[in-house]
Amino acid sequence: MDASTETAAQSGALDATAPSPAVAGSNNARPASNAIVSNTNTAAAAVAAAAVEDDDTEGEGEDVAPRFEDWAGRWDHIDKLLVRRGPFAQPTFEPCVELRDFLLEQCRILVIGAGGLGCELLKDLALSGFRNIDVIDMDTIDISNLNRQFLFRQKDVGQSKALVAAEFVNRRVAGCKVTPHFCKIQDKPEDFYRQFQLVVCGLDSIPARRWINALLVSLVQYNDDKEIVPGTMIPMIDGGTEGNCVLRFLQFSVRLFVGLSFTALFCVAGLLYQGFKGQARVILPGMSSCFECSIDTFPPQTTFPLCTIASTPRIPAHCIEYAKIVLWPQAFPDRALDTDDPEHINWLYLEALKRANEYGIQGVTYRLTQGVVKNIIPAVASTNAVIAAACASEAFKLATGCSSQLNNYMQFNGQDSLYTFTFEYEQKPDCLVCSNIPLDFACSASEPLRALVERLSEQPFQFKAPGIRGLGKTFYMSAPPSLELSTRPNLDRTLAELGLQDGAFLQVADVAVPLPVQLKLQFRP
Amino acid sequence: MINLFSLKQQKKDAAAAGGKKTSAAQLRTQKDINDLNLPSTCKVDFPNPDDLLTFNLAIAPDEGFYKGGLFRFTFKIGPNYPHEPPKVHCEQKIYHPNIDLQGNVCLNILREDWKPVLSINSVIYGLQFLFLEPNPDDPLNKEAAANLRENRRGFEANVTRSLRGGSVENNVFDNCMRSGNSW
Amino acid sequence: MTSASMIVDRKTQRYDRQLRLWGDHGQAALESARVCLINGSATGTEILKNLVLPGIGSFTVIDSEKVSGADVGNNFFLDADSIGQSRARVVTELLQELNTDVSGNFVEEPLQSLLDNDVEFFRPFTLMIATQLSSKMLARVSEVCVKLGIPFLAVRSYGLIGYLRLQIGEHCVIESHPDSPMDDLRLDRPFPELLSYLQQIDFNTQDGFQHAHIPFLAILLKHLLEWKASHGGLPPKTSKDKDEFRAEIQRARRIKEDGSRAEEENHDEAITHATKAWHVSSIPSEISALFADSNVDNLTATSSPFWIMVRSLRDFVMAEGEGLLPLRGSIPDMAADSDRYIRLQHVYQERAKHDVAAFTAHVHRHLAELGLPLGTISDDDAKTFCRNAPFLRVIRARPISDELASATSKLTDTLNFHLEDPDSSVAFYVLLRAVDLFFEEHGRFPGAGDDQVEEDIAPLKQYVVGLLTDLGVSQHAIKEELIHEMCRFGAAELHNIASILGGLASQEAVKVITRQYIPFNNTFLFNGITSTSSTVEL
Repeated sequence: MDASTETAAQSGALDATAPSPAVAGSNNARPASNAIVSNTNTAAAAVAAAAVEDDDTEGEGEDVAPRFEDWAGRWDHIDKLLVRRGPFAQPTFEPCVELRDFLLEQCRILVIGAGGLGCELLKDLALSGFRNIDVIDMDTIDISNLNRQFLFRQKDVGQSKALVAAEFVNRRVAGCKVTPHFCKIQDKPEDFYRQFQLVVCGLDSIPARRWINALLVSLVQYNDDKEIVPGTMIPMIDGGTEGNCVLRFLQFSVRLFVGLSFTALFCVAGLLYQGFKGQARVILPGMSSCFECSIDTFPPQTTFPLCTIASTPRIPAHCIEYAKIVLWPQAFPDRALDTDDPEHINWLYLEALKRANEYGIQGVTYRLTQGVVKNIIPAVASTNAVIAAACASEAFKLATGCSSQLNNYMQFNGQDSLYTFTFEYEQKPDCLVCSNIPLDFACSASEPLRALVERLSEQPFQFKAPGIRGLGKTFYMSAPPSLELSTRPNLDRTLAELGLQDGAFLQVADVAVPLPVQLKLQFRP
Repeated sequence: MINLFSLKQQKKDAAAAGGKKTSAAQLRTQKDINDLNLPSTCKVDFPNPDDLLTFNLAIAPDEGFYKGGLFRFTFKIGPNYPHEPPKVHCEQKIYHPNIDLQGNVCLNILREDWKPVLSINSVIYGLQFLFLEPNPDDPLNKEAAANLRENRRGFEANVTRSLRGGSVENNVFDNCMRSGNSW
Repeated sequence: MTSASMIVDRKTQRYDRQLRLWGDHGQAALESARVCLINGSATGTEILKNLVLPGIGSFTVIDSEKVSGADVGNNFFLDADSIGQSRARVVTELLQELNTDVSGNFVEEPLQSLLDNDVEFFRPFTLMIATQLSSKMLARVSEVCVKLGIPFLAVRSYGLIGYLRLQIGEHCVIESHPDSPMDDLRLDRPFPELLSYLQQIDFNTQDGFQHAHIPFLAILLKHLLEWKASHGGLPPKTSKDKDEFRAEIQRARRIKEDGSRAEEENHDEAITHATKAWHVSSIPSEISALFADSNVDNLTATSSPFWIMVRSLRDFVMAEGEGLLPLRGSIPDMAADSDRYIRLQHVYQERAKHDVAAFTAHVHRHLAELGLPLGTISDDDAKTFCRNAPFLRVIRARPISDELASATSKLTDTLNFHLEDPDSSVAFYVLLRAVDLFFEEHGRFPGAGDDQVEEDIAPLKQYVVGLLTDLGVSQHAIKEELIHEMCRFGAAELHNIASILGGLASQEAVKVITRQYIPFNNTFLFNGITSTSSTVEL
């Protein structure tokens, strides 16, 4: 290790394509080679080590893209944090110019979402020195995005957000390589996500955030001592502007630094008043609370009782919902409602208005109809800027170690004055996602599933009626009877016959445990 | 404190394993299904046992107005379960104060009163209860509800006629009678 | 069927997501606003970006600098080709390109010379914003803004630290958009129409649907009146009373044929919201304080419509209001049948209209007395004012020049209070002023060069100690690490901090321009090391 890193430092000095060594005329930035030799845990060492790795894989015989030549002074501002010691830097931080080269050349960061937060994030990261950025978004540009998604223009309406955003940033920020992905996050395999050192989310969709959170948690691997295998943990920085219900945080016994009265400032009455609120958080999968730990603080979409909508409408939204849920399917049984089609919205509006007039309900407007039907959350440029930049700042600090970090949740409320509330959101002990560390389970390819079920009935599991799934298949379920019957034949099949291999994962549910246990099969030779 | 970049080297070794990702909705549904404890009047079946997120429910009430009928529902569990409730639809056109002619069901725990602590079991019990005690105060089918409130006998007769595929108030209903004891 | 595309024009579509926050009238205010930015720094362009996007009328950038390599490194509205060119011109071009509805202008004359020779230049602006100015220049711009009566926002990014300061003479907010406003239901002081509504409700109906759909407000009011009748006119007081009151509602549920109690959502709601029964209608303390404002007693022909309306409001309270503000007239949704709910809503709305009319009469009387045309305050203005009467706010954010000139006891007390906590972001207020003192003497900021970080720590500490003494808070010390960190920052302007401040400042600018929502008063400090902040009045 030492030998190779030293080589790296030397070859770096000779090879123009490799990061240049720290030769800045600075008393604080020690020569990189010193730092590397003295402490292999330092960021500097890591940077150099990473450089070696890349040299090994692509240095020989392959064309290396020529490094972008920066103009003088370009990184003066960020360099102050990178080449100088700082009392609040992480303990492993060693100031050096290689740190910047790491950002520019090697660090890969993924931005999920190219909307309100995503556009800001791309700009923020590109101007923080991140140069290898991927962005993924399945959406196309709508005219109502233009009041805040500043990388888009009228002429771009209808195009892919990811593509247009990437092109804009690459054009404006010289040397920046934003790679767009115009697809769903679910379309990408695990290996795609594994390439990145950091993931930053700027999403408005709760399901998408749960998905990426669960994926990143699942990538974390543990060694025999149940410690996280270091390189497997990809930090997730999550920004949101939906104004979730912090009051409910109290139930989760977070560490409150201030009294109740202050916290009450953040009490959100419902979905009515949004737009000036948001949150930024740092999630270290397996180490800190994950997105799923806090899922209950996100208010579910407002829904009204169906019978109210049908029989006792009282407010405009009841009439609009009636038009959407009852009248549309009746009138157009073969045509799905397209909430982006103004003709459709207009039809709903006119029907809702008719119904409202019947009951003497006032206040149905086109704008309200659109808002209710599409569940529109008001959004402005300013809130997106605040939240995205808070996330990007954390990404920069995490990547370089130049400062301590947000630990781990910042709530922002700009509705009345300006307030932020920063606290540590604690891990939920029975979180469906991050408390679920896989257990090694010894077995053999030739034993039948029944043998495994029997062992699960013993210590330490003591499962009485397990339900077993894995590889996306249902292997055995104890209930309901129909499913038990149809999966029963699997009990007599061997693990090999079921397609299970060494290292495969099984999820086992049982009344004895609050959530399915993850087993990692360890085949005996 | 973590040091992000000292970790990069181990990354590629780690890439070999994996494949354990299962969504929270999947895990929770597996748990819910395996814990199902249904009354003898309810049965569920899975068209594809590997897909626990889509299944059918049949309810055969053994008392009340709807005794003798057999009612089929489909369940669809979305990626946001249990943050959001399952989607339940009645597959037959039936005469019921809380189920409309399109198969929409008015059950509080399926919408405004849903909580993640509830389970598929609670939803099935809730649906069964609707057949034992239809609720005229929260109507989805207003005529049926008004009938139940004002004229119980008449309502009972309407139910009986509708269950046999007859018509009530100009609406023809699906035949929902169960044939024999096996279902 | 009308074509939907006809209903919604391009502008409405473009601004849809923000119109839902500040409405068409807020947008109109924004579109007629003229914003002046001093310095096209990263912080400055980030602020303007977030104002150009929502469509302010025009902006003007004052900047005499030429674009440097470092500028292009942290500013999105510059590119590599622009190095050496006029910074004012390039940022204006690239900002303008964001939104063709906005007109962009720039001035390359140095700020200093504008301040010295052409103060009138600033007069047309709705709002002044200055970025990256150190204390001395800040004080000068502050004085000009005071003189011209223009609201002023000062914004500064310094390493991982952010500073925001608002200066505004008097800012009156009618539409403050409170987060979760209390309902104004008046169950303790039921008006005649509400009582007659109550009398029309048949609480003894045997019809289950009817009984389960009596609006809970009616249930609460009925039980409250009964309670008062049997308790000497007093509402439930003790927790035992309150439990008993809830139990009475519990017993009021309908008895079904089988003898059991019906599950009735309206009764559940009545029990859940029982506190509304003993809630005492009153005037919020902020509004009482407004009534005592000297502007209220001394109306003149130059009084603003706001103060004429506050005066009229006070008159209403003392006369028709019988000690209360005009009824707001809205009720929450509740389990009820359409008919009785809408009739109840109508009862409240009509009463509110009645109050608005009485209030408007006071307004007209004052306008006449002052010799002002009645149209000075429209009926819609009066209505909006009444609906928001409990949430009115007046903000006065004092001049920065005063704050910098000498420490008032209030400033000293506030600093003392916050510096008690060694981790308070308020420490950066002191540190930012200290680096400016350093700058004035040395002509550069501490840690400007890489080799100056360590050597500048001790001198900066001297300024900090001196400043703490001047501010009257010498018993507190600023942590050595923070002083070191300030030297490390070397006045770097990090894009992320610039962008956070750009978001915050533009949001406050929108509040000031639209006169909606409540701006901060008057200093905000962001600590980007830990992502924490403080808002204090200095």
